[in-house]
Amino acid sequence: MTPDKQINDYLSQLRAALKGMTVSEREDIVEEIRMHIRERMADPQCSLDAVFAGLGPAHELAQQYRTGVLVQRARTSISPVVILRAALRWATTGIEGFIVFVIAIIGYATGVIFLLLALMKPFFPANTGLWVGPNEFNFSIRMGATMTNPASPVHEVLGWWLIPVCLVLGSLSLALTTKLLQFLMGRFRWKVPFSAATHTRPAMMTL
Amino acid sequence: MRKGCLEMAVLASLWRGRLYGLEILRVLERDSSLVLSEGTIYPILNRLRTEGLVQSEWVEADAGHPRKYYELTGTGRDRATHMAEAWTQFSAALGCLIEPVLNGQRKVEQPQ
Repeated sequence: MTPDKQINDYLSQLRAALKGMTVSEREDIVEEIRMHIRERMADPQCSLDAVFAGLGPAHELAQQYRTGVLVQRARTSISPVVILRAALRWATTGIEGFIVFVIAIIGYATGVIFLLLALMKPFFPANTGLWVGPNEFNFSIRMGATMTNPASPVHEVLGWWLIPVCLVLGSLSLALTTKLLQFLMGRFRWKVPFSAATHTRPAMMTL
Repeated sequence: MRKGCLEMAVLASLWRGRLYGLEILRVLERDSSLVLSEGTIYPILNRLRTEGLVQSEWVEADAGHPRKYYELTGTGRDRATHMAEAWTQFSAALGCLIEPVLNGQRKVEQPQ
């Protein structure tokens, strides 16, 4: 394979892996990497293999770009979809990201469950509620004819107040989760690989 | 390592003027022995740009091909300044902590 063909193959792979970006963003990145390769190859002592080794595989390079864009978007976005995608990507980088992802799932799930409860109350008034009784604190939803409501002394306490209470708690959960995750996204940092093999001086810092 | 050290290094490398990717790598290596892989610097620059800390511009160079130059924005300068101050404080505090360690080492080297 000729060097030109190798370079074009690498850039094609990079372009294909940079999905989810605008065409101009993507072409800008591909052009910058193309110029980087050309600049490095101007040095006769530099081999194409060394350049590719420095850049890493095309899909990994694209992944770093995409993680950056995704995390950046998640820091200002209020869309749970964007935030969850960023958290999921972060989760693939280690335990820290995994914890953030779990927080995201729990937070959003809590919010959604509260909102669902509020939504179901008008349709299943007898089976939706906050039941309190001796030796029991049971916040639950009972659905269907097969389920029986708890017998006295366990009783429902909220009545129709369940709807506003659940709406407020649900919205709060969603808002707090979003705020917390935006804050955490601001603390996202890359793991920085050092090109230690090609380097003689000690890498003093682990970033 | 304290968070943001890498951002600080990249922003600081641009303090004296605009540079393109490969130059930033060389400046970091020359001035701070920080060696980043080439595959690391470009995504970071892209992120700093989307954060509004640097801006980029394609410049037709003498080399016969264009280069993408990066330059600090006003926000980028502020951020670099704050980070540098925080870093200096952190480093001074750590200096106090490790001073006895260095002194202890000398004592071992020169037994009475």
